[in-house]
Amino acid sequence: MSNNWEMVIGLEVHAQLNTSSKLFSSSPNQFGSEPNENVNFIDSGMPGMLPVMNFACIEMAIKTGFALNFNINKYSVFERKNYFYPDLPQGYQISQFEFPILTEGFINIDNPDNQKKIRIERAHLEQDAGKSIHDIDPKFSFIDLNRVGTPLLEIVSYPDLSSAEEVVSYMSSLRQVLMYIDVCDGNMQEGSLRADVNLSVRHKGGELGTRCEIKNLNSFKFIRQAIEYEFKRQIDVIESGGKIEQNTMLFDTSTGETRAMRSKEFSHDYRYFPDPDLLPVNLTQDLIDKVKTLVGELPQAKLDKFIKDYNVDKDIAKIITAEKQNAILFEKMISETDVKPKFIAAWLVGDIFAFIKENNLEVSSLNEKTKEITDLLKLVSDDVISNKAGKEILPRVLNGQGNPSDIVKELGLEQVSDSGELEKIIDESLIGEEENISKFQGGSDRVLGYFVGKCLKATKGKGNPKLINKILLERLKK
Amino acid sequence: MKNSISHIKNSLRGKKISVEELYDEFFTKAKSSKTNSFNLLLDKEINIQSIKESQKRYENGNPLPLDGIPLGIKDLFCTKGIRTTASSKILSNFTPDYESFITQKLLDDGSIFIGKNNCDEFAMGSSNETSFFGPVKNPWKNKNVPTDDLVPGGSSGGSAAAVAEGTCVASMGTDTGGSIRQPASLCGIVGLKPTFGSCSRWGIVAFASSLDQAGPLTNSVEDAALILNSINKHDFNDSTSSNHVREDYLYGINDKLDQKIKIGIPSDYLKDVSGDILSQIENTKKALFKHNVEFVDVEFKTTEYALSTYYILAPAEASSNLARYDGIRYGVREEGKTLDDIYLNSRTRGFGDEVTRRILIGAYVLSAGYYDAYYRQAQKVRRLIKDDFQRIFNDVDFILTPTTPNEAFKIGDKLDPISMYKNDIYTVPTSLAGLPGISIPSGLSTNGLPLGIQFIGNYFEEKKLLQIAALAEKELNFNEQ
Amino acid sequence: MSEIDIKRISYLAKLKLPHEKEEFYANSLKDIIKWVDNLKMIDTSETEPLHNVTEKTTSIRNDEIIKINSVDDVLSNAPDRAQNFFKVPKVVE
Ligand SMILES: [Mg+2]
Ligand SMILES: [Zn+2]
Repeated sequence: MSNNWEMVIGLEVHAQLNTSSKLFSSSPNQFGSEPNENVNFIDSGMPGMLPVMNFACIEMAIKTGFALNFNINKYSVFERKNYFYPDLPQGYQISQFEFPILTEGFINIDNPDNQKKIRIERAHLEQDAGKSIHDIDPKFSFIDLNRVGTPLLEIVSYPDLSSAEEVVSYMSSLRQVLMYIDVCDGNMQEGSLRADVNLSVRHKGGELGTRCEIKNLNSFKFIRQAIEYEFKRQIDVIESGGKIEQNTMLFDTSTGETRAMRSKEFSHDYRYFPDPDLLPVNLTQDLIDKVKTLVGELPQAKLDKFIKDYNVDKDIAKIITAEKQNAILFEKMISETDVKPKFIAAWLVGDIFAFIKENNLEVSSLNEKTKEITDLLKLVSDDVISNKAGKEILPRVLNGQGNPSDIVKELGLEQVSDSGELEKIIDESLIGEEENISKFQGGSDRVLGYFVGKCLKATKGKGNPKLINKILLERLKK
Repeated sequence: MKNSISHIKNSLRGKKISVEELYDEFFTKAKSSKTNSFNLLLDKEINIQSIKESQKRYENGNPLPLDGIPLGIKDLFCTKGIRTTASSKILSNFTPDYESFITQKLLDDGSIFIGKNNCDEFAMGSSNETSFFGPVKNPWKNKNVPTDDLVPGGSSGGSAAAVAEGTCVASMGTDTGGSIRQPASLCGIVGLKPTFGSCSRWGIVAFASSLDQAGPLTNSVEDAALILNSINKHDFNDSTSSNHVREDYLYGINDKLDQKIKIGIPSDYLKDVSGDILSQIENTKKALFKHNVEFVDVEFKTTEYALSTYYILAPAEASSNLARYDGIRYGVREEGKTLDDIYLNSRTRGFGDEVTRRILIGAYVLSAGYYDAYYRQAQKVRRLIKDDFQRIFNDVDFILTPTTPNEAFKIGDKLDPISMYKNDIYTVPTSLAGLPGISIPSGLSTNGLPLGIQFIGNYFEEKKLLQIAALAEKELNFNEQ
Repeated sequence: MSEIDIKRISYLAKLKLPHEKEEFYANSLKDIIKWVDNLKMIDTSETEPLHNVTEKTTSIRNDEIIKINSVDDVLSNAPDRAQNFFKVPKVVE
């Protein structure tokens, strides 16, 4: 039965590049505009209109080349992929085919108990298509060409993936890297990152089966669902004596099922040929070297640095490096204070992220408030206030309701760390406790906790617990 | 010459005629013409503002290079607010909201458009018989069969006929495999195809992008130089536009040749030509001999492959360039129940036979299983053709050939596509190599029909090319014949 | 040369040839393809394809937004529109 089967998966990921303008036209590359607002005559395929390459796309492709360990090809060619579709005004998509800009890269993904290297066959630049809206009218579709010409980097992996979990892990690693190097906003809901899943099944270790391509999945949840459904479907077909036909599948998000997209009289034949309106892209070593300096630190390097240099726990470091903006915030705080990074990291992934989540904020919105936050953390780590008091006033600091020391003063939350004052209180609290004192001296550690509690109560919670502990021990050991 | 731009400008400067009178004169003549060389004539009201401004510049003594000159524009150039059809049914209702780079330059230099010239549908043809608006008639007649209507050549047939009959002073055409030079030759006028990359393709309805090139059809070489001055500019919006330094093509055009000029005549071009055609070359040799010009025989290795190469590459590009005509965003939509029906009906009914044929050829040579044998092979042979020219240009300054293998023929005479394609035998190799070529009228055939010769120059050597053409023009003295 | 599948080619080109014209085009295409077949005689094993006589572009844009037209300019030639959309019969997958 199905535990004899395994899946073999390759992914085609389309990443929208976050440029200002489109790949071959100067229209805005912007999500969520009014219909056909970002369309010029080039985008709508008017007669005689010609494409002109956007340099930023080349730059972003090169950055991706460095980040994903690709060969960066100095010679690449834009070709036309010819097919008819109302979302495709020119009747062809300009893409790279025989000579893509990037070839033979890889990325390491984390499995629960090991790392796995996923090889990437190629990545090429191409145009996105427009959108048809089908659900406004029962008889008509409405075409919005805003997305036409948005630059895409299509990243094509080898079939090195063998589970839904691996696919998700691969996809989120890609997303993380692309966001780090600032080439994609990673917003899957808006379609900035979408995956075509090529899946086939085989008996464990056996020969490769026929693959089906599930198109345009734009959430991790859908990717998981689609893979699991398609895996089962293919096994069912084969086990009931059928054959898998190489098909393009559509994933129905409402039912969680896949189905074959179009039954065609004839198979596709895209008739690729070099676009005569464009000339080959020739990159100089100079340019490649220059772009290299713009790549910046990649997530893996940051993770290693946080763990080794900053002593941050691995799990916490992972949370911080998961998104670039987290890491930026963290590094900014470190640079502004002498509080230990490990201490800051714990606060960041704890109460600070919780606050962000609760209030639906962007992590980057705190970049303006790092001074106040680190001031607060300094008060806590220097024992000026208690951990508990720190947590209490954090929201006020994050909301910008004054600086921490003022708030602390205003609320009277400073700890009593004057040893003379504490000694007096401790001595008073030991009066009449002969029995407990002898219990302690007899070896009962539990009594210490009782005394600390009593002293803290006497300071109305403001006594510095560490100091109280220290003085108590001195007194009791006498 | 009476209809040359400089002559007309002198009359305007000397107040012998006003810009408005000039326009009226050409417009009236064009309106009553029976050649069908315009798809659209622009009433004076549309141009009145430009006419007045132009007149004012003459009165102020600072006219622009083409000020007030009535031009025809091949209906392949997008003209803002003016219907642009490519002589196709599918675009017969299309009015662009943009002006092509070339026509903008012509407007900037003061010229006034009298109308849009008829042409072969999407510039596909060599006789101007494929136009949705009907064939264009050559103003010339065969003196032995004067009742026959003759083709003007194509695809810029309307442009050539209009200039020849004097319904515009000059016209802008496009040349993909000979579409400026061939009709110029059959109509007895001058036609210049500049080096590929000289004149921007932005805003010209595309036929075959790697070959299409705009150029003037004129009454004289000097007029061609004057118009080239206006349109030969780098255009950032055309990625194949060259940014080499442009010269003043008019300046010194009639200067004496101070160096010995070597002109190659490809013997393989002249193998099977008629006496009429051969004598054009002989006459030219005679005429230039005294001017320090040496003629040498040269031989191409690739001539017999040029047409095959062209009729693979041009249709391949066209099949893709014409995919955008689908009745969805502009153009004529033929209704249908489903979207697919709209596509199919709009395209099938919107394109004529020749366009349909070329789209089919193009789809075939690019399709899986045939790409390498046809398309890729043709691209390789194209390089051999280019290299072949370079080899010959190592040795000579120009190449001299007939422009066409025959004189103007009767409308409806050539039904078979291949015999039609063979009209371009002398112009296609130059197009494939991207070199500049100019056709000038050289004499009359025994039937009294004009014939032309072609000078081919090296890349971006339009200045030299125009100089030798001007010299030949003067010596051959066609307009006084 | 193999037979020309005119149905498949016209499908690729999005053309619906009337029945009586299928043969006309098929024959015409066959003639032309036969005519261009002489290219197969040339040895090009050492030759690179030539895409374009200009081999290097000078046009690479900076990443700047330039608006050259309004929504209406883009839709003004549309055979059918609804508000600011192009309108077509429903696409059925
Ligand atoms: Mg795909
Ligand atoms: Zn893609």
